[in-house]
Amino acid sequence: MTLDRLLRIVSLRFRSLARRDDVERELDDEMRDHIERETAANVRRGMSLSAARTMALREFGGIEYHKEGARDQRGTRWLEELTADVRFAFRSLRNSPTFAAVVVLTLALGIGANTAIFSVVRGVLLKPLPHRDGDRLLYLRHSASGPGQSNLTFSVPEVRDLRSGVPSLSGIAEYSSWMVMQQTKDGPVRINVGLVTGNFFEVMGLSPILGRLTQPSDDGRAAHRVAVLAYEYWLKQFGGDSSVVGTQVSLDRQPVTIIGVLQPAPFFPNRVEMLLNLVNSEHHLGASMQDNRLHRMTEVVARMKPGASIEQVRAEVATVYKRVTREFSEAYPAAGGYNVAVIPFKTVMGEKARLTLWLLMASAAFVLIVSAANVANLTLMRGVRREHELVVRTALGAGAGRLRRLLLVENLLLTLFGGSLGILIANAGVRLLKAFAERYSTRTADIRLDGIVFAFTLAVSVGVALVLSFLASLPREARIGSRIMTGAQRSSGGLGRRRMQRSLVVVQIAVTVVLLAGAGLLTRTMIELSHVDTGLTSEDVLTMRVTQLTRAERSDSTLAAVARQRFEEMRDQIAALPGVTAVGIGGTLPLRSEDFFYLVQAEGKPPAAGETLTRVEFRGADQNFFRAAGVPLIKGRMFSTSDKDVVIVNKTFVDRFFPNEDPIGKRIAWKADWQPDSLHWGLTIVGVVGNTRDGRLDAPPRMVAFELMSRMPTQTAGFVIRASGSTPGLPAQATRIVRRVAPLALVDNVMTVAQFRQQSVSPQRLNAGLITSFGALAVIIAAVGIGGVLAFAVSARTNEIGIRMSLGADSGRVQRMVLREGGTLVAIGLVLGVVGAYLSAGVIRGLLFGVTPNDPMTYIAVGVTMATIGVIACWIPALRAARIDPAIAMRAS
Amino acid sequence: MSKPNDLVQGTLDLLILKMLAVDSMNGWAIAERLKEASSDVLRVSTGSLYPALHKLEQQGWIVAEWRPSENNRRAKFYSLTRAGRKHLQLESDNWDRLASAISAVMRLRET
Repeated sequence: MTLDRLLRIVSLRFRSLARRDDVERELDDEMRDHIERETAANVRRGMSLSAARTMALREFGGIEYHKEGARDQRGTRWLEELTADVRFAFRSLRNSPTFAAVVVLTLALGIGANTAIFSVVRGVLLKPLPHRDGDRLLYLRHSASGPGQSNLTFSVPEVRDLRSGVPSLSGIAEYSSWMVMQQTKDGPVRINVGLVTGNFFEVMGLSPILGRLTQPSDDGRAAHRVAVLAYEYWLKQFGGDSSVVGTQVSLDRQPVTIIGVLQPAPFFPNRVEMLLNLVNSEHHLGASMQDNRLHRMTEVVARMKPGASIEQVRAEVATVYKRVTREFSEAYPAAGGYNVAVIPFKTVMGEKARLTLWLLMASAAFVLIVSAANVANLTLMRGVRREHELVVRTALGAGAGRLRRLLLVENLLLTLFGGSLGILIANAGVRLLKAFAERYSTRTADIRLDGIVFAFTLAVSVGVALVLSFLASLPREARIGSRIMTGAQRSSGGLGRRRMQRSLVVVQIAVTVVLLAGAGLLTRTMIELSHVDTGLTSEDVLTMRVTQLTRAERSDSTLAAVARQRFEEMRDQIAALPGVTAVGIGGTLPLRSEDFFYLVQAEGKPPAAGETLTRVEFRGADQNFFRAAGVPLIKGRMFSTSDKDVVIVNKTFVDRFFPNEDPIGKRIAWKADWQPDSLHWGLTIVGVVGNTRDGRLDAPPRMVAFELMSRMPTQTAGFVIRASGSTPGLPAQATRIVRRVAPLALVDNVMTVAQFRQQSVSPQRLNAGLITSFGALAVIIAAVGIGGVLAFAVSARTNEIGIRMSLGADSGRVQRMVLREGGTLVAIGLVLGVVGAYLSAGVIRGLLFGVTPNDPMTYIAVGVTMATIGVIACWIPALRAARIDPAIAMRAS
Repeated sequence: MSKPNDLVQGTLDLLILKMLAVDSMNGWAIAERLKEASSDVLRVSTGSLYPALHKLEQQGWIVAEWRPSENNRRAKFYSLTRAGRKHLQLESDNWDRLASAISAVMRLRET
C-alpha cells in the first residue's frame, strides 16, 4: 500500500469518527442531490414536477436503508457500537451500584493478590537473568550422602579436572563466599564478599558500569589486591560516587583497590557486597587449598559453548568424574555417594524460593477462583433479574451476538476496573512481599510491576470477564414469546441455572477448605517451630559476637595472645556488671552454627570396612559457657581452667559412639576432612551435655564436641551473658566494655537467644501469615457467596414460602428448610475440599515441620471452622425466610 | 446490503473506476452515463451504487470533493486517485483476461 493511500484511509477513518455529524450531513446532501438530479431528469423527460419527484423517490428506494449501506463502508461501525455498549454498560452498572461495588471489590482483592504474587514469581523465578546469554550459565553442585553434605563445593584440583575434561564448556569460574572486616568511618563492619578467579565475570557474562572487572591477570600471588563493588553496595556505602574507582578500602586491615562497579546482578548462594580477587585471601592461595583434593571450598559456575546442550555437559562431567573417582579412590569412598549435578544457574537461583512461591501463587489463584465464582453467582442472579430486560431487548431486534457482546462489555468493565484496583493493591503489597522474598532469593531487586506483570493482570481480568459472560444464558428465540407473556418478574431462573449457582458455591467452599488446610498446616508448622525444645534451659540470655582479629592475624601468636587476654578481660568486666550472674565465651553462639566439622573416631570403635569416619561439629566453649548458655550437663563435669586436651560431647554423640557405655574417660581422635594425614589422638571426654538445636530449629540435633575455647582460633568469641531480674541497659553496657577493651573490635549479633529464635522462625511465620490471610479472604468471600445465593433463592421463593406457611409450615420449619439447602452445599463442599486437600497436601511436605501433611487435627479444625462460618452465612437468609409474612407474600404475587 | 448483487460481483467497482477515469462526476451521473454507455444494459441501483462509491472512497481508490451544483447546492464529485488509476489498470487487465477466457470457453463447439 502506498503511503499517500494509507494516509488517505487513516484520515477518512478518523474523520468518520471525529466529525461524525459532518459526515452524516454530507451523506444526506449526497442523497438529496441524487434525488434532485433524478427529478430534474424526469422533468426534462416531460413529467410534472410532483410526478417527477415521486418517481425519483420511488426509484431511489429506502433512503435510510441506502444510508446504512453507505455507513457500513466506513469500517468504523464496530467502534461506534462498542462506545454505545460501553455507555450502556456504564448506565446499567450505575443502576445497581451495590452489585458493581461488591464485584469490583472482590475482584480487586483476587486480582491484586495474583498480580502481587506473580510479580514476585516472575522476578525471582521466571525473568531471564541479567547475565549475558544467562541461559547458558550453569552451576555445578558437588554432593555426598550424609548430613551437611548436600553441597560439598569443589577443591581446586577438582576444578582443574573439570577445566581440562569438559569441552562443551567455554569457561569455568571459581567463587568462594567469604567474610571480611571492612574499616569504615563508623568503625569496623563485617561484610560478605565473594573471592573470584579472574575469569569469573567473563564466564558470568557481567559488565562493569564503572571501571573494570577482574581478569585473568588478577589471579596469582603477584597480583594486586583488587575489589569490584556490587551495585547495591556501591549505592549504599559509597553513595553512588563515580570517583570511587581507583581509591582504596581497608579489608581485613589490608588496603584493597576498587577497580570497578558491577552492573546490578543477583548472586548465589548469598548476597555479596564486593568481589575480590583470590590474592585477598592467604588461605585461598595456600598450598593446601591449591593442591589438596579434599580441601573443598569453591563454588563452580560455568558457561556452555554456543550450541552445546546441558545433556552434553552432564555426560562430559560424568565421564571426568568417573575417571577421577577411579584415580583417587581414597578421596571418594564408594559408600560416600559422591555426585556432581549440573544445574542451570537460573534454576539454582530460584531453588529455595520455588516451592514457597508456587504455593503462594496457587493460593492467590484459589482466592481468585473463589472471588470469580462469587462474581459469577452475582452475575447469574442479576442475570435472572435482567432476564425480562434481555427478553425485551431480543424482541426489539437485538441479535444474540449483540446481547452477548453487551454482557461481555459489562463484565469487562467490571473486571478491568477490579483489575486496576487490584494493581493498586498489588503495588502496596509488593514491598512487603519483596522483604519476604529476600529470605529465599537474591533476585528480589528484579521484583516490580512491569509490563509483563500488567499484561498478566490484563489477561486475568479479560479471562474472568470472558468466563463470566458465557455463564449467563441468553433467552432463546423460541422462549421469548412466553417470557414476555409471563412477565418473568420473580423468576428464580431455570433449573440449569440454579444447578450452576449451587455448583459454584460448592466449588467455592471446596477451594476455600483446601486453602484453609494449607494455612492450618503452615500455622501448625510455625507454632511447632516456635515451641521446639531447643535444649537450652532458658533463652533469656544476652549474646554478642566480638571479632578482634582478621583471618591472617590469628596465626600471629603475639596478636592471638593479646586478643585472648582481652576476651578474658571483657568477660571479667561484664561479669562484674550489676545483675549479671554468669558470662561464658563460646566459639559459636547458642542455636547458631558455623558448620565447622572434623572427622572423628572414638576409642575402640574403628569404622567398619567401607564405612567413612563420622562428621562431628566442633564448637569452642570456656568453663562458664554451659552454665551461662543454659546447656544442661548430663554426665561428668564442665571444663575447668586447668583443663588441657579434654572434650565435652553432646547426647547425640554419645548415642552414636557409646550407646550402652559410660563415655567419660574415653578418648576420641579427629582430623579435618581435607587433611590427608592420620588421626590426632589425645582428646578425652570429661562431660556429656544435652542436645541443642543449633543451626536449624527444624533439623535433628547433630553430633557436637566442645573443645576448650583456649585451644580454638581466637579471632572471634561469642559472649553469652546471663542476668537475673530486669536489666534493660545490659546490651549497651556490655558493648561499651568491649569497645573500651578493644576499640577496633567488631561487635555484632547483640540480641537474646529468644530474639534470635524469633528471628529464625520469621520466614515460616510470614509464610503462614500470608497463606492464612489468603485463607481468611477466601472464607469471607465464600461466606458472602453462599449467603448471597441463599438470600436470592429465598427472595425468589417468597411466594412459595408464603404458600407453605399458609398451609401450616411454621417459621422454624421454613428456617430449617433454608438451612438444609445451604447446609447440604456446605457439606458437599467440605467433603470435596477435605479430599482435595488430603490428596494435594503432600506437595508442601517440604515446608512443614512437626506436622504431617495429613494431620487429622488440622483437618478437623479446618472442617469445624468452615462449617461454622458456612452455617452462620446460611443463618441470615434462613431467618429472613422464617420472617416472611404469608399474607403479604401471597398478596404480592 | 453492502454487496452489489445485480452485477457480476466486483464488476461494479471496476465500472465505477472506469467511469471516473473518463471524467470526475457525481453518483447520479455515474449511473446515468453507465446506462448510456452500455446502451441501457447496465443499470445500477442506488442501493448498490452508494455503498460501492463509499467503499472505494474508504479504500483510497477514489476521492470525493464538493462542488457547487447547477442549482447552487453542494454536490459530491468523485474522481480517481493515483492509486485508483493503477488499481483500475490492474483490474481491467484482470477483466480482459477473464472475459477472453470466458468467451474462449463459450466458443467451444457443442456436438
